[in-house]
Amino acid sequence: MNIFFRELKAHQRSLILWSMAIFFMIISSIGKFTAYAETGQSMNELLSQIPASIKAVLGMGGFDLTKISGFYGMLYLYLLLMATIHAALLGANIIAKEETEKTTEFLMVKPVSRANIITAKLLAALFNIVVFNLVTLFFSVTLMGKYIKGENITREILILMVGMFILQLMFLVIGTVTAAAGKRPGSAASITTTILVVTFIISSAININSKLAFLKFITPFAYFKAEKLLNGGGFDLVFVILSLVIITILVFVTYTSYGKRDLMV
Amino acid sequence: MNVIEINKLTKYYGQARGIIDVSFNVGEGEIFGFIGPNGAGKSTTIRTLLALIYPTSGSATIFGKDCIRYAPEIARDVGYLPSEVFYYERMKVIDLLQYAASFYKKDCSKRIFELAEIMDLDLKKRIDDLSFGNKKKVGIVQGLLHDPRLIILDEPTSGLDPLMQQKFFDLLLEENQKGATILLSSHVLSEVQRLCSRVAIIKDGQIIKLEKISDLTENNYKKFKIEMKEDIRREYFEMAGINNLALEGSKVSFLFKGNINLILKKLAYVEIENIWIEEPSLEEVFIHYYEKEA
Repeated sequence: MNIFFRELKAHQRSLILWSMAIFFMIISSIGKFTAYAETGQSMNELLSQIPASIKAVLGMGGFDLTKISGFYGMLYLYLLLMATIHAALLGANIIAKEETEKTTEFLMVKPVSRANIITAKLLAALFNIVVFNLVTLFFSVTLMGKYIKGENITREILILMVGMFILQLMFLVIGTVTAAAGKRPGSAASITTTILVVTFIISSAININSKLAFLKFITPFAYFKAEKLLNGGGFDLVFVILSLVIITILVFVTYTSYGKRDLMV
Repeated sequence: MNVIEINKLTKYYGQARGIIDVSFNVGEGEIFGFIGPNGAGKSTTIRTLLALIYPTSGSATIFGKDCIRYAPEIARDVGYLPSEVFYYERMKVIDLLQYAASFYKKDCSKRIFELAEIMDLDLKKRIDDLSFGNKKKVGIVQGLLHDPRLIILDEPTSGLDPLMQQKFFDLLLEENQKGATILLSSHVLSEVQRLCSRVAIIKDGQIIKLEKISDLTENNYKKFKIEMKEDIRREYFEMAGINNLALEGSKVSFLFKGNINLILKKLAYVEIENIWIEEPSLEEVFIHYYEKEA
């Protein structure tokens, strides 16, 4: 438990900063939405001029941006990016930092097994992404409700947050596995971020070109599409199971590879 | 009973040599020296004992248990001071020490204050603000706060001023009196000579000598320093048993190992101004181990 609390404390500051970033992300988008909504139909006409590929890249996709749900669908993509970047960096750093900050010789000579250290760190990281998710949920619901009158989208937001949480978990463990299994823990964060960016680009590419749809299995960003979730499509069971399987495997590999390898001192 | 038993421990980092077939034992209550130049494999051996890295082959036990398999269990009674100390940022000294203590199932707070007092360490300071020497002190307190039965020290005195070194050695001797076994790795031979009863000498990853300190210094070697009446040729001293011969005009110095009468007879044939015959320091005994073969 002592490692768990130490990690919570170590990430407290970062969590506060991220929460502030979420707040500003949502509040600034609401400002833009109010502008869109006022122009009404003309805005939609303007947007329809934009080529579909650019819309896809910007995450506008098939949303009706004059509607709150459509607008939130677009905002969600950016929140999702923030959440996954946070989770990926957290996962990579929480494991790698003992080696990059050279505290291995402090922690690893204490009467605690490597598996227990991983458990404490994973739990602390889990706590952080849950807080991140709840903060996003809270600001989304309260700010959208306060500044935008009209349809109530709390239910939709809740569904989107579940999807976001699965992706957070996924990128968290991609981070931990990179740091635990990689030969150079110092580059774990950049490797994980690269994976994130590449999978995100693949997911955008699928949006632009439907011929690439077969790639959707290799990018978590394509597993739970906001458009589908918002239009009452619900979660695709195949992808929920696939996500859980991937997450379980990555957690397992995190434990085994960290237990087996030489630690850098 | 042996606290540490190392049996043909070998470690390769990929192709690179770490240590090869290292074997030695450290008895209970012993202060054991582990000496060798930088890069010889001292830290590799210690890190394997602590299960930070895993051996390529061979094995080691601490308290009779395999040092890799039972690492967490063994760690309860081991205190370790690494050669370079690094700690978590943005922590106060006392917070770090309490965090360290939280891993042991006993109350260490009294001992923390005692040790800080002895080592003259300010517990309220932030670790980031400490000098290298003061960080080392944190390491010392951190390594001893749980009254370990085995203390492992890797180059412990670097960064400490002579006064602190003295206090630290007194502290170690006190722990030893109370029953702690100590493994001290160092390339500073004088500190090993002061503290240790036995030494293992490691060079290029292999143990080249394992001996009692007393055997090494008292029984084997004498250090000769002679001033001649007149200059003397080097060849005059070329005989078996003479090491580290240094000749400077009429001044000669060397280490002699063997029958002392032989060398005295030889000296009787030359005119001598002055002569000193002393116990050599470990430095002088081992200097030839340290010098790489040309």
